[in-house]
Amino acid sequence: MSEKLIREANERAAKYFSRRHFLQDCMAGIGATALGSLIGGCNIFSSSSPVAGMPQSLNPLEPKAPQFPARAKNVIYLHMAGAPSQLEMFDYKPDLQKLHNQLCPQSLLQGKKFAFIRGVPKMLGPQAKFQQYGESRAWVSDFMPHFSTMVDDVSFLKGVHTDQFNHGPAQLFMHTGSARLGRPSIGSWVTYGLGSENSNLPGFVVLTSGGKTPDAGKSVWGSGFLPSVYQGVQCRSKGDPVLYITDPEGMDRDMRYQSIQAINDVNKLEYEAFSDAETLSRISQYELAYKMQISVPGVMDIADEPEYIQEMYGTQPGKESFANNCLLARKLVEKGVRFVQLFDWGWDAHGTGEDTAVNLGMRNKCTQIDRPITALLKDLKQRGLLDETLVVWGGEFGRTPMQENREGQEMPFLGRDHHAEAFTMWMAGGGIRKGFTWGETDEIGFSVVKGKVAVHDIHATMLQQLGFDHEKLIYHFQGRPFRLTDVEGHVIHEILG
Amino acid sequence: MGYQCAYDETFKIAIRQVINLLQAAPQGSWSLFIGRFHPLLVHLPIGILIVAFILEWLSRNKRLAFLGSSVLPILIFGAVSAIAACIAGYLLSLSGGYEESALDLHMWMGIGVAVIASALCILRRYSLFRKSWLWVSAAMILMLSAAGHLGGNLTHGEDYLTAAMPFGSRKAPVATIPNIEEAKVYDQLIKPILEQKCVSCHNAGKLKGGLRLDSMVHILKGGENGPVLKETMPESSELYKRLVLSDDDDKRMPPKGKPQLSPGQVELLYWWIEQGASTTAKVKDLRKSSRIELVLEGLQPASGPGNHPFMPKEEARIASAKDIDSLEMLGVKVMPVAAGNGFVMVNAINASGFNNKNAALLLPLKSQIVWLKLSNTAVGDSAMKILAQLPELTRLSLENTAITDAGLLELAKCKQLKYLNLVGTKVSDKGLLALQKNKGLQELFVYKTGVTAAVFKAFPDVRIDTGGYLVPVLETDTMVFRKVK
Repeated sequence: MSEKLIREANERAAKYFSRRHFLQDCMAGIGATALGSLIGGCNIFSSSSPVAGMPQSLNPLEPKAPQFPARAKNVIYLHMAGAPSQLEMFDYKPDLQKLHNQLCPQSLLQGKKFAFIRGVPKMLGPQAKFQQYGESRAWVSDFMPHFSTMVDDVSFLKGVHTDQFNHGPAQLFMHTGSARLGRPSIGSWVTYGLGSENSNLPGFVVLTSGGKTPDAGKSVWGSGFLPSVYQGVQCRSKGDPVLYITDPEGMDRDMRYQSIQAINDVNKLEYEAFSDAETLSRISQYELAYKMQISVPGVMDIADEPEYIQEMYGTQPGKESFANNCLLARKLVEKGVRFVQLFDWGWDAHGTGEDTAVNLGMRNKCTQIDRPITALLKDLKQRGLLDETLVVWGGEFGRTPMQENREGQEMPFLGRDHHAEAFTMWMAGGGIRKGFTWGETDEIGFSVVKGKVAVHDIHATMLQQLGFDHEKLIYHFQGRPFRLTDVEGHVIHEILG
Repeated sequence: MGYQCAYDETFKIAIRQVINLLQAAPQGSWSLFIGRFHPLLVHLPIGILIVAFILEWLSRNKRLAFLGSSVLPILIFGAVSAIAACIAGYLLSLSGGYEESALDLHMWMGIGVAVIASALCILRRYSLFRKSWLWVSAAMILMLSAAGHLGGNLTHGEDYLTAAMPFGSRKAPVATIPNIEEAKVYDQLIKPILEQKCVSCHNAGKLKGGLRLDSMVHILKGGENGPVLKETMPESSELYKRLVLSDDDDKRMPPKGKPQLSPGQVELLYWWIEQGASTTAKVKDLRKSSRIELVLEGLQPASGPGNHPFMPKEEARIASAKDIDSLEMLGVKVMPVAAGNGFVMVNAINASGFNNKNAALLLPLKSQIVWLKLSNTAVGDSAMKILAQLPELTRLSLENTAITDAGLLELAKCKQLKYLNLVGTKVSDKGLLALQKNKGLQELFVYKTGVTAAVFKAFPDVRIDTGGYLVPVLETDTMVFRKVK
């Protein structure tokens, strides 16, 4: 234990010294900082190791073997930021309809905290029509007509619960396993554990849509205390996929190569002197960024996909859209990107306006994701990629069976408040059981009665499919071993195929 | 018929009780004492008679004919020890606890060995039928082996030998249950425990303590000391109580020296009785304590190593670094499928130039490669000749390569192949038929190829995906929902 502490202390010291050194002695470095992780440099043609001249084991993104043979090699995580209403999509509650507009019984409210509900709210019946689909007879609402054809490829988790009822902390919890800042995101843990297969692309790519990024900020794809090389690389589906990806005027590729090479040579000397892991991160990021200048514009351009695929996803070329991101996700996974994280903003259906009414705005949001998600699953399937790609869908929490009454007032539109106790997520592919539903909520969808699943359980299951025992994927920090599931998490064996 | 059965049953119980009374008599302990020497004595004739046979055989050779004179004394020792083993064996069998049909066969074979050995002594002593000596002693050795094997099975259980076989299919020690919630408690959880640990003595044949545990009717009927099961009261049910007595207690079940129930199995029995000993209830119908949840969890298939659909059951030796490096030089990634595992996955995602000539570099790793991804590379049909020599290959991705029907003929030799991805290649129905030889094939992806649905019937057990899925246009796709003004 003390050995680990000493090593960690040395690393911290290295970071401190190298930063001071960097700023004092190496003014040219400031310019390089601005370019940061975007530009890199090594000869793409001469090397099998992503970082030329660096022993392979020193490259932090070198692919690594999992702990046991994995069922999934890639993950596509579809996060609906703002929390979609399970009661209008998958969790059918006919009894809630009967209670529609009646006052919520006191017993349900006792000792409970809500973000906005005050006093005694009314119950709000499902605003969608439900029907059973597929051989698995899964309930899906008419908000998701296309997705209803995919239920036999999916395992629903209807009893997910979280312990956070505000967006920021709940999103952090869902993506880093902790409601507080500072922990690495799932994608970072996965790239830390498995490295990256494609040496020309990042191992962890983030795509956002819906006009805003998640409330929790970029920490939801941050690397926390893991070396920063494992953080998610945010790409845009509109304009340049990565900012400053093109060379500025007057800078040709040769010159760029030579300058990057020079910077990396200095950084290698730096690493020899201080052994700071962050220096390695920097070298490999320069290197990767240089390669990405060539590879990213190609892979991030959906225009090269045939017309019928564009139609299938319902893409909107040149715009920022969830459909574009779904198509990109498939392309990235096809290219060996380990973890593709999609965020779609705009699901916070409080009923404060037309956009956030569960029967209007949220229905429109469903229409926006219904076709792309269905297309994504079908496309992965026909390419033989769904076997090895784990697709996860969900929000940071669910929504109440009660109608929101902000400040105790009646609202102009039908809305639901944040609900942490029970909501629905689903997983598909990557060795997940097909056509299965696990978990059940009570008659009104308020709490879980069977198959209760915690956020850490979802993480444990994802890691399991990727070949890791979640209790053994560990990073030592501040003298303590850390893991994604902290001291909790049980693999949801029921949904494993 | 029913009368006959009932009569047989009562008759058997009566006989058994008489035998039990006799065994309880004091001289029984002497017979048991001598009987217990059977496992010791039995090895004497095995060794001695084998020596006799070997000498008999060698003495056929003229230069070794002098050995013939030592056969008779050895045979006499063998015959005497065989008779002694038979007597001890018989006395041991009286103590009961053995499966009767197997015991009978073992006994008669043992007696057979003793008789043949004695007969050989006589033939040898009086020089009768010289020519038959070798053949008779060979027959004796055969019978000796069979008797010995049966004896081993009796003592250690029938699967003692087969369970240790390094080859062939083995019976899983504990059956796992994929969906535990839907499992029937009695049929899938309780009955297998009883069958595994109790029924060998408590069956229609042996009926120890007058108790049969091979069906629910008999369990409820109980034994000679009355009922063994009180629904909802495990603490007063003999069926549970006896499992948790101390090791030294005579009443402890299963008896000392017999395979015992695991703690989890005891917990299951307790829970089943406590919850009413139903024969129809499913796991989900019964109330579960957190302890029993743990036990039930343990019965589900683990999805760790060894349970992967695309992994061979055996192990592979670790590949040499030199062989791996020659591929890595080309940018091809060679990685163990898991840390410390000999099998490797090979991925040419960073080596689009990988071609037919390079494919030969895969051969030194032929006993290690299980998953191979050559998608979007320059390989074509001639590389398939190399791939055909990878015996462990289970997953093969060849999307967007130049492979044609000719190449598929070669792939038909990959016997372990389970997943084959041919998306975007020039293969057709005709070529695909060659893959009928790949009996293990489970998934076949032929999107954007010439393959049509016409081949489906040739592959009844394979999931063939020809792709080309569409998402239909619905009216609601373009509807935007707004407040009704």
